[in-house]
Amino acid sequence: MVEFYQPQADFGTPMSVGKQLVTLSIDGVSVTVPEGTSVMRAAAESGIKVPRLCATDQLASFGSCRVCLVEIQGRRGFPASCTTTVEAGMQVQTQSDAIGKLRRNVMELYISDHPLDCLTCPTNGDCELQDTAGEVGLRSVRYGFDGDNHLDAEKDQSNPYFTFDPSKCIVCSRCVRACEEVQGTFALTIDGRGFESKVSASQDDAFMDSECVSCGACVNVCPTATLTEKSIIDAGKPEHAVTTTCAYCGVGCSFKAEMKGNQVVRMTPYKDGKANEGHACVKGRFAFGYATHKDRITTPMIRDSIDDAWREVSWDEAVNYTAERFKAIQAKYGRTSIGAISSSRCTNEEVYLVQKMVRAGFGNNNIDTCARVCHSPTGFGLKTTLGESAGTQTFASVAEADVVIVMGANPTEAHPVFASRLKRRLRQGAKLIVIDPRKIELVSSPHITADFHLPVRPGTNVPTLNALAHVIVNEGLEAHSYIEQRCDVEEFERWLTFIGNPRHAPENTEEITGVPAADLRAAARLYASGGNGAIFYGLGVTEHSQGSTAVMAIANLAMLTGNVGREGVGVNPLRGQNNVQGSCDMGSFPHELPGYRHISDTTTRQLFEGEWNVTLDSEPGLRIPNMFDAALDGDFKGLYCQGEDIAQSDPNTQHVEAALRALECLVVQDIFLNETAKFAHVFLPGASFLEKDGTFTNAERRISRVRKAIPPLSGKADWQATMALANALGCPMNYSHPSEIMDEIARLTPTFRGVSYAKLEQLGSIQWPCNDLTPEGTPIMHIDQFVRGKGFFAMTEYVATTERANRKFPLLLTTGRILSQYNVGAQTRRTDNNQWHAEDLLEIHPHDAEERGISHDDWVGVNSRVGDTVLRANVTERVKPGVVYTTFHHPVSGANVITTDNSDWATNCPEYKVTAVQISKVTKPSNWQARQQSFDRQQRGLLERARQ
Amino acid sequence: MSQPQLQRLIKMINQIALNMSANGDPKMVGYQVAQHLEKFWSPPMKNLITEQPIDAQMALSPIAQIAIGDLRRMQLAKRV
Repeated sequence: MVEFYQPQADFGTPMSVGKQLVTLSIDGVSVTVPEGTSVMRAAAESGIKVPRLCATDQLASFGSCRVCLVEIQGRRGFPASCTTTVEAGMQVQTQSDAIGKLRRNVMELYISDHPLDCLTCPTNGDCELQDTAGEVGLRSVRYGFDGDNHLDAEKDQSNPYFTFDPSKCIVCSRCVRACEEVQGTFALTIDGRGFESKVSASQDDAFMDSECVSCGACVNVCPTATLTEKSIIDAGKPEHAVTTTCAYCGVGCSFKAEMKGNQVVRMTPYKDGKANEGHACVKGRFAFGYATHKDRITTPMIRDSIDDAWREVSWDEAVNYTAERFKAIQAKYGRTSIGAISSSRCTNEEVYLVQKMVRAGFGNNNIDTCARVCHSPTGFGLKTTLGESAGTQTFASVAEADVVIVMGANPTEAHPVFASRLKRRLRQGAKLIVIDPRKIELVSSPHITADFHLPVRPGTNVPTLNALAHVIVNEGLEAHSYIEQRCDVEEFERWLTFIGNPRHAPENTEEITGVPAADLRAAARLYASGGNGAIFYGLGVTEHSQGSTAVMAIANLAMLTGNVGREGVGVNPLRGQNNVQGSCDMGSFPHELPGYRHISDTTTRQLFEGEWNVTLDSEPGLRIPNMFDAALDGDFKGLYCQGEDIAQSDPNTQHVEAALRALECLVVQDIFLNETAKFAHVFLPGASFLEKDGTFTNAERRISRVRKAIPPLSGKADWQATMALANALGCPMNYSHPSEIMDEIARLTPTFRGVSYAKLEQLGSIQWPCNDLTPEGTPIMHIDQFVRGKGFFAMTEYVATTERANRKFPLLLTTGRILSQYNVGAQTRRTDNNQWHAEDLLEIHPHDAEERGISHDDWVGVNSRVGDTVLRANVTERVKPGVVYTTFHHPVSGANVITTDNSDWATNCPEYKVTAVQISKVTKPSNWQARQQSFDRQQRGLLERARQ
Repeated sequence: MSQPQLQRLIKMINQIALNMSANGDPKMVGYQVAQHLEKFWSPPMKNLITEQPIDAQMALSPIAQIAIGDLRRMQLAKRV
């Protein structure tokens, strides 16, 4: 059904959380609302709109515009309905001659300093000022337009996505308040007084030069055309909208894709989306242009060798070619000589089909997913200790946290919408402990200062976490009764002996970790005794040789202090990509069927065998790094890689490239000719998230609908392509819509038993487990008991990584992300987000730079034990001496040419966060970069020949 | 599978053994390591490590050696 475009409902002021109900009368209608509700909102909830300009339900009441005046029996004057809260028995009138006159007078003043260009204004028909002028019946402006005004104020067009036109500004402060209250950046202010008042970015800078992070919150709430999306200026007002889920990070924001025909003209954060509640970031809000970028490949292509030109073919030919080559490889080298890698950027249904095709069609379990290289230790660690491979909370739960630990995560860059929630809570007074080698923004930002920053040396998370636990135990701060009731006491006693050993005391770990003992002790005391303690962690925890151990140590800390199983606490992995949680849930690991059930479990296997009508292999298949090794050994010859760019994202690039070159048939399905596709023999065009139906599951276990806004540019959504390939391989699949795939998932997976598209329509989103016991889902896990029964305190002995600094490689490199770019950058590099981050830089401390004669912006060589690359230096105190840092968003940077194939002991998740390197000033690109550029030119040439 | 592959597997098993070493006595830990390999390693990886005679040149830790023995027994039991 077409959803015609209309602005999202706005009740004027935020919903009250008051528990008592209050009944009053508005325009003679009896209204009952929670205490604390504004008169404006109470009216709106009963269908009465009070005109307003400075009020929106996204922001706290402000009471400046004086348009929303009402009459209240027994009160003098005309109170503002936005700042007046309801009282029992109150008699409110929203309309009268006197009110009408007042509102018209106020509007007249506003309009006397506003250009009357409505017919050519970009927000014509979608402007609250225009609507309000109509609502109050403004027909003329007595003051004329000849006096002093702001009509010639210069327009700021510096931001690539929106304009700021001060001539249209009514100084309602909505933008300033949104920047403060919603986003928490405080980039905007009202400069000057009286007539001189104006909105100013930073110190009266252009938006692009200011502290603005382009989240779009200001644009969202602007009631005029002052802040307007350039896409709307270019294309005009949308005519219909599709509610869908963002395809960037693991926050999983809900959006309205606002459309004109098949063109997306704006992505507006959806206020009813529970993950984001109407907020967004620069990626989800604005960086959607990649979906129609000229680099999109929309026709299947094949070639016999990677030195041949591509040949564009039909879907049928590409699929049959692939099936024949895969069958031939299996006939020659054996059943286990092929496999697949699924993607956390694809939908649950697509990921499910890929693993089904591998297990039922390839006849082996050689299926792995990109979560291998990010959060596989989370799966292992949380399953071992708590019993389920998932975070325990909702994002909203952070509003009840008293002490928050952020460890190895940088939410303001990588999970910005969650970061805004977190900052809001911190501004309310919650305490913050940051454990990170770098001084991330949360350590010190406007109105937020971390209570403790523990600048851990890369590779020493485990001794740091052990020391925190040691202090808590040593000082008797543990939650005795919680542990006694909820945890395996015998295992706890064993762990107690382990953790009580003096080697874990912060005074003894200080030399290893670099964290001052006094700070660590104080942080431990704060977490253990500061009220609700919540831990949020990221890849800085998992991407280590002891990633799984660190995850278990985090779970130990939470159980030790009784901080699992209620609002405001918990253990929360911040997932990197949009559907990491979902891809793991869907059985993408080689040892697990959907729902994290081991492939060796006969009962589970029989369930799938019955549904799929095949016999399944009971042994685990190859993990991604094992696939590479086996390819180099000649045992693994065919790979289907959907929606991942392993040649750029996986460690030790030269090793990966050699493995890809060793394959006889590499099939890449993607929306662009990514780095991996340059080694491929078959290219199947992928569909962007705008082109398909399905679901994503975010870091809160929240399953949300992805809805098709435009038809697939290649003619097939990814699930349809996989289905065609499976059928060609003799593995029958016959789904007419992804909802049927979800029905199958629900039939086979206990934690998804109650999930259906119909229920998703009804509830908006569902947090699994969702079954007969919890038919509407499970926001908080482990409430009365842990999923595994009794919580398990795992031993977390520190084992130093073998990747150590020495005289030849004296610095430790760690890697991460930046706000404007996403993962390998395939999407964001094809948008104007490049204006913020056009290249990856190497952060180096001034001491280390000076020692090497390196200045800001110099080209520097980065050499590790496995390779070298060249980056531009960013000399900064954000990293401490001895540590350097870079991002991996641009292929030519070769960040992963230098990372090693060291990995987590339990899961083989790569140790991206610790690489010993030497840095030196250089004048030319590295040999690898020269080769990469030459190979890139060759492959682009081969692509161009296909297109000609 | 090749010699470099065997070396990689030895590195992995030693790493697993070292990380699990605090779980108890070597015999128990060795068994846990074997269970880990049984659960997560593919058959060619398990076969490669169990089909090699254990000798000093392999540089296997004592726990890793116990684990390989246990894994070998697990595989035999499955074949019966």
